[in-house]
Amino acid sequence: MTGRTWLEVPKEWIASFGEIVKFGVRVIGEVLTGRVFGFFGEGLRQAGILILGSALVIFGLAFILGLTCGLEGAYFSRSVGAPAQAGIFSAWCDLREVIPYAWGYMLSAKVGTGIVAEIGAARITDEVDALEVMGISSMTFLCATRLFAAIVVFPFLYIIAIGFGFFASYLAVVEQIGEVSSGGFFLIFWMFQNPPDFLYSIIKAMAMALAIVVVGLYYGYTASGGPVGVGTATAKSMVLNTVLVHLIGMLGTQIFWGQDPRAPVGG
Amino acid sequence: MISAVADRAFLPVKSMLEQVGDMMILTGKTIISALRPPYPYGGELVNQFLFALRLCWFPLLVSTVAFGYGAPGLQAGNFLTIFGAIDRLGGFFVLASIREFAPFVTAIIVSGVAGTAICADLGARKIREELDALQVLGVDPVKNLVVPRFLALMVITGLFNVYALLFGIFGGVIATLTFDAPLGPFFTTLLTNASIPDLWGSVIKTTSFGAIIAIISCYKGMTASGGAEGVGRAVNQAVVATVTVVFAFNYVFTQVLLATNPEISVIK
Repeated sequence: MTGRTWLEVPKEWIASFGEIVKFGVRVIGEVLTGRVFGFFGEGLRQAGILILGSALVIFGLAFILGLTCGLEGAYFSRSVGAPAQAGIFSAWCDLREVIPYAWGYMLSAKVGTGIVAEIGAARITDEVDALEVMGISSMTFLCATRLFAAIVVFPFLYIIAIGFGFFASYLAVVEQIGEVSSGGFFLIFWMFQNPPDFLYSIIKAMAMALAIVVVGLYYGYTASGGPVGVGTATAKSMVLNTVLVHLIGMLGTQIFWGQDPRAPVGG
Repeated sequence: MISAVADRAFLPVKSMLEQVGDMMILTGKTIISALRPPYPYGGELVNQFLFALRLCWFPLLVSTVAFGYGAPGLQAGNFLTIFGAIDRLGGFFVLASIREFAPFVTAIIVSGVAGTAICADLGARKIREELDALQVLGVDPVKNLVVPRFLALMVITGLFNVYALLFGIFGGVIATLTFDAPLGPFFTTLLTNASIPDLWGSVIKTTSFGAIIAIISCYKGMTASGGAEGVGRAVNQAVVATVTVVFAFNYVFTQVLLATNPEISVIK
């Protein structure tokens, strides 16, 4: 237990960061050059797995966090003596911050670690080598197809997740706490958001999704050390992903809303 | 045909309910064997505590500063600047940081870092049949492996919450400085609005999060099966279950805290 081990986590990130970027560029290249369409069927199959396996939990988490946003918004606006304005808090909390974070958390938990477990298992049971021997590029067949599926599916899943968050906030503020009428809530709620906000929110979430999928693919593809190694790689990918989600969330907020709050107030 | 459809619909539900029941039994066993002498788990408890501390401190630092600066700092700061009331940002941080985001960022980091590591570790022991070997030797795995992890995670999540609060508020300080506002009013409104029930609520909440994370991770690790993919699959399921349960618990807890302590939501 020397002093060195305390810096284990940051040191490992710095060491593997270059590798991950290199790997990510290669996978993205496979998708953009269209080589992935050689395995279009496998890509669609992965997309189907994403929808069937991950959609429900993502919507569930967005719903729970939307409820929390509504609850805090209702109590906060009551405490400043403006209970009718609960919509402002809910609109900003949901669209700009919390639904992207909910998305990032659940994606790194469900999709990121899932990818590591699957590809890591294929790696240590030598299935990856078997693919190469058969003349199939494992990079394209295993990695690029999953990234392709993510690109096809995620924007739609995210938009539906936003819907779940909004609905939950409405339930918490109007139906549960009940200090503002449904019409009054929605008037303020829609006034304090606009299409560019929606677009920025999607960009933020898709940046998180890209980072999570690439990190998952990297840790799965480079797993080693038997069944135990797959478990360790899965745990490591989760560590890096949670931090990346927070960093991307902060950068997105700074870039999109840092200088301009985009609120319909004042001149 | 009908029975096939019924199987497809009800078997997942049944297995989920069984797992919930098993986790409850594990929780009960853990608490009983933690209290009943002898207490052989002292050394392992310290080890697990230091293990979680070493792994978590850096991710937690980066995440809480980033979250504190971005979500409550910039967004709320922008909003308050419109009304010329940037000095109120400190008061907002009581709501944002102490009540909500410090606990849940702590929970996400502890479950993502320490929970997954515990699950991978126990899963590896299960796959290598070390757990069976321990039982043959007459060593109780619950008492010697689960109890120290359960207690260590409970204590460390509660303590990490305080650390997350401090760094979250540091994020708020950076945000205040980017708005070219003085720091004095920030701390004044922060300290006048902070209340003891808020802080206790926050610490009790995170301690319960620690218990939830430890039980789910240990359970999933100890029931890992199925060869190469098994351990990875167990970690995946553990982290999904933890995140969902933690946030559901958070909602219920916040609601009870706000409804039973009306004085904490008064802005002073």
